[in-house]
Amino acid sequence: MKLNDQVQNLGARIWTIQVLAFILLTLLGVRLYYLQITKGAYYAERAENQRVRLIPIPAPRGAIFDRNGKILVDSRPTYNVVLSNEPLKSLDLPSRVNDYAAGLSMDRQFVIERLNLIKKQNDFETMVLKENATMQDIAWVEAHSVEFPELLIELQPQRFYPLGTVLSHVLGYVGEISPAQLENPEFKEKGFRPGDIIGKGGLEQYYDEYLRGRPGYRKVIVDSRGRVQSEIARVPPQAGMDLVTTIDLDLQMAAEQQLDASATKRGTIIAMDPNNGELFAMASHPAYDPNVFIQGTSKPEGRKQIAAYWQDEKRPLYNRAIQGRYPPGSTWKIPEYVGALEEGVITPQKSNVACGGGITIGNKFTRCMGNHGAPPLDHAITVSCDGYAYHLALKMGIEGIIKMIQTFQFDKPTGIDLPNEKVSQTPKSWMPWILKHEGKWSDIRTVYASIGQDTVVVTPISMLRAISSVGMQGKMYTPHFLKEFKSISAIGEDGDPNYIPAREGFTYQHPAPVIVPMNDDQYHIMLRGMWGVVQEAGTAASIRMPGWEIAGKTGTAQVSELGSGGAKDHAWFDSFAPAYKPEISVVALIENSGFGAANAAPAAKGMYEAYLAKRDPNKPIITKDEAVGSGKK
Amino acid sequence: MVAIIEKRDLRDFDWLTAVLAIAISCFGVWQIHNALPTDNYWSKQIIGIGIALVAFLVVAFSDFRRIVDYAPVFFVIGLVLLALVVTPLGVEVNGQKAWLRLPLIGQFQPSEFMKIPTVLMLAKYFGARKGGPLTLRETIIGGLIFAAPLGLILLEPDAGQAITYFPIFAAVLFISGIKFRYVVIAIVATAIMVQTAWFVGVKYGKIKRYQQERLLAITNPDEVDPRGYGYHTIQSTITVGKGGLAGIQGDPETSQSVLKFLPEPQTDFIFAVTAENSGFIGCVSLLLAYALLLSRMIAGARQSSDRASLLVIMSVVCGMVFQIFMNVGMAEGFLPVIGVPLPLMSAGLSAILTTFIAIGFVVSIKMRRFVN
Repeated sequence: MKLNDQVQNLGARIWTIQVLAFILLTLLGVRLYYLQITKGAYYAERAENQRVRLIPIPAPRGAIFDRNGKILVDSRPTYNVVLSNEPLKSLDLPSRVNDYAAGLSMDRQFVIERLNLIKKQNDFETMVLKENATMQDIAWVEAHSVEFPELLIELQPQRFYPLGTVLSHVLGYVGEISPAQLENPEFKEKGFRPGDIIGKGGLEQYYDEYLRGRPGYRKVIVDSRGRVQSEIARVPPQAGMDLVTTIDLDLQMAAEQQLDASATKRGTIIAMDPNNGELFAMASHPAYDPNVFIQGTSKPEGRKQIAAYWQDEKRPLYNRAIQGRYPPGSTWKIPEYVGALEEGVITPQKSNVACGGGITIGNKFTRCMGNHGAPPLDHAITVSCDGYAYHLALKMGIEGIIKMIQTFQFDKPTGIDLPNEKVSQTPKSWMPWILKHEGKWSDIRTVYASIGQDTVVVTPISMLRAISSVGMQGKMYTPHFLKEFKSISAIGEDGDPNYIPAREGFTYQHPAPVIVPMNDDQYHIMLRGMWGVVQEAGTAASIRMPGWEIAGKTGTAQVSELGSGGAKDHAWFDSFAPAYKPEISVVALIENSGFGAANAAPAAKGMYEAYLAKRDPNKPIITKDEAVGSGKK
Repeated sequence: MVAIIEKRDLRDFDWLTAVLAIAISCFGVWQIHNALPTDNYWSKQIIGIGIALVAFLVVAFSDFRRIVDYAPVFFVIGLVLLALVVTPLGVEVNGQKAWLRLPLIGQFQPSEFMKIPTVLMLAKYFGARKGGPLTLRETIIGGLIFAAPLGLILLEPDAGQAITYFPIFAAVLFISGIKFRYVVIAIVATAIMVQTAWFVGVKYGKIKRYQQERLLAITNPDEVDPRGYGYHTIQSTITVGKGGLAGIQGDPETSQSVLKFLPEPQTDFIFAVTAENSGFIGCVSLLLAYALLLSRMIAGARQSSDRASLLVIMSVVCGMVFQIFMNVGMAEGFLPVIGVPLPLMSAGLSAILTTFIAIGFVVSIKMRRFVN
């Protein structure tokens, strides 16, 4: 067949088709060049991004020990049922609510809440649906992996507080970082992510940075449904640092026991080493169980319990030792008298002030418990003469009292290593308010302030610190729980991209003690008075212990108007022992229980007994006679 | 069979075309294996190629003109099979009834095979005419031959398969001497109708949301939901681009198809798999191989001794070019997702068999071009 013979230009037509074919193929080649050569790297990265996932491996938090190595807090493995983000995107979640609720035996309402939360947050890998999954839950998830590929089981080290309510206020608890905290620049800077576990309250919060480990991660390949296909790399997590505290668990248990046995079961007991500020024990009752916050958040009963904690008017979540502010009553006289001596209102040699059975300000008579004549300072302390305090305070003037407040730093936090410490309220802090509303500071307020009432409400910890300093002849240490953070070794080799450097351990860095000026004579007259409180016929003679001399001061702080039938007085006992070479100081405060001598002093005695039970029997106990000689007064 | 093959046959046998077709299909097997190494698509494809080669040789060594004489028989059988597809004998896959399961033969896709009788039937009709411009009457009769299988395929409905019939008919009309002005009119009319159909379709909801999304994925790939209907286009583009110059070296476990990011990797998106595994070099080689194969076929057309032969070859050429362009264009993300297999590469017995039979005709025609 001769193509050229044809009328229809057959040759040209075939040629047209051929050219057209080549143009189309060339077009494909050009596009190929653009995709593979020009933008090849871009698409390679996109492909990598959609198949590589980083799955964090949570780091175990550091454990917390008492000074003798007893476990106070540790972590143990638990399993969570989590929802994986990737397959979720193409799911109709509301339709799964009933399946999840039935399969995982969860409250339907709670499932709905969790799913709503997930909807709001797009930026996550996995989200916990159920914490502390049981063996049945795990089996159910495994058995339904085809129907519900979005459900996964994740191992999670969980915080465990073996002591329950014991020491709960000091230890605090941990929980998921809140959305508000995530917005907070302070947390944002540190790169926190939703779902991160952080310390909430107590040492867990204060030392969170050290207790918290550095999470590792698994670098995995996932398929288009987000299912892990293989693992490319695994960087192990670095555990948090272990915290050794100054707490002595035996003393702590004694403190808890004393509070349990107290009249109202409300109050606080703190024991400290006055020589350096190391805290042996800090109990606050009523207490809470931190485990409820760890395990309870996903269960209706747990959440009810947490809500009950918040609503309870006895305020179990509140650490009375550092957050409670109470009128100190007569215990306030100790720092006040040190102030009077320092300011020269009285001297050790000339310390007598008239009691007068009370004082009349204007037409109002404020009485003393007895009539003590004109006692010297030490006797005034021993018998807790209020008339002495009234008259002395008027001599000092409110300025003198404020000066003392500054000397003992009642206007500042003590600097204890716990979060949310409250500052005491004193005439110094009240002064601007009083002047504004009453025009002047009246003498009656000075009189009330002299016996730790009215404008004086202090935290037990600040009171303990002040009283302890008298035993140390004016050296006031910062109370603290940190003894040591143990070092933790590095993860990986140096130079490795995933290298996590080692963390050096460290001990508590003692700030220089605050010095309350107190010469020998001043010290001895104060001590003589405080020694007498227990050792002579003082207000707390009932707790006298043979061979163990306690220096202390009782306080009975009025809460409501006398005779009003309102709440009973707060009972205080501030002390240290042995009086002339203190090894331990104790403050006991029992709320609304009445007399300090009857209610707080025995609790302190219980602490000393516990201390003595452990004390090296061969270590000499310094008595007053040995320290100052028997002849001297 | 060898006994009846004469020396002349072997001398005139178009070895290059045969070798190219076999080479491309073997390359295809490798890519099917790359796509899903743990599935048995690749081994099935080898069996398919074996069957196809037998059919290829039978067709290549038969007398082409006698086959054309029997074209109406094949055509009617084909139409019956197509009609059976829409009866309960048809097998429904993904909402389409494109498959037929028959005893002994098994499951196959009549719409794929029907291309052959259609080409033969058109060749028989238009090959018998004398020279001169195409008349309206001839065009209408040809159109009816074309419309019969097309209508049945649209009933399935299998738009992707139906669309591959158009280039065959277009080639036949073009080669049969349709006037150039009609060609121009047809092109302009198509352009206008596609636009009109789009706007009318969108307005009255005839073009569904997902169909619109698929087109949007091409025009604005960054704006459509990457997990929605643009997913195929986006993933295919990523897969192609990822291949780079020489493809991924080793590490098939992280390939787009194995991780199931790329859908239908062994059939519709086999080119994306090729691009990922063999890179620009492999893909350009493949396109060159296609170009060479098509050139050989067109050269055969130029040498053909009669009009029917010429029509058969050129419609096979146009059909293949169209399928290559649609399939690769889809994989490269600039044409919409329509399930058109890539000739000789995509897994599927029906497709590979049809393509080899078609090439068998071409070889047969070339072999007998001096017989007059």
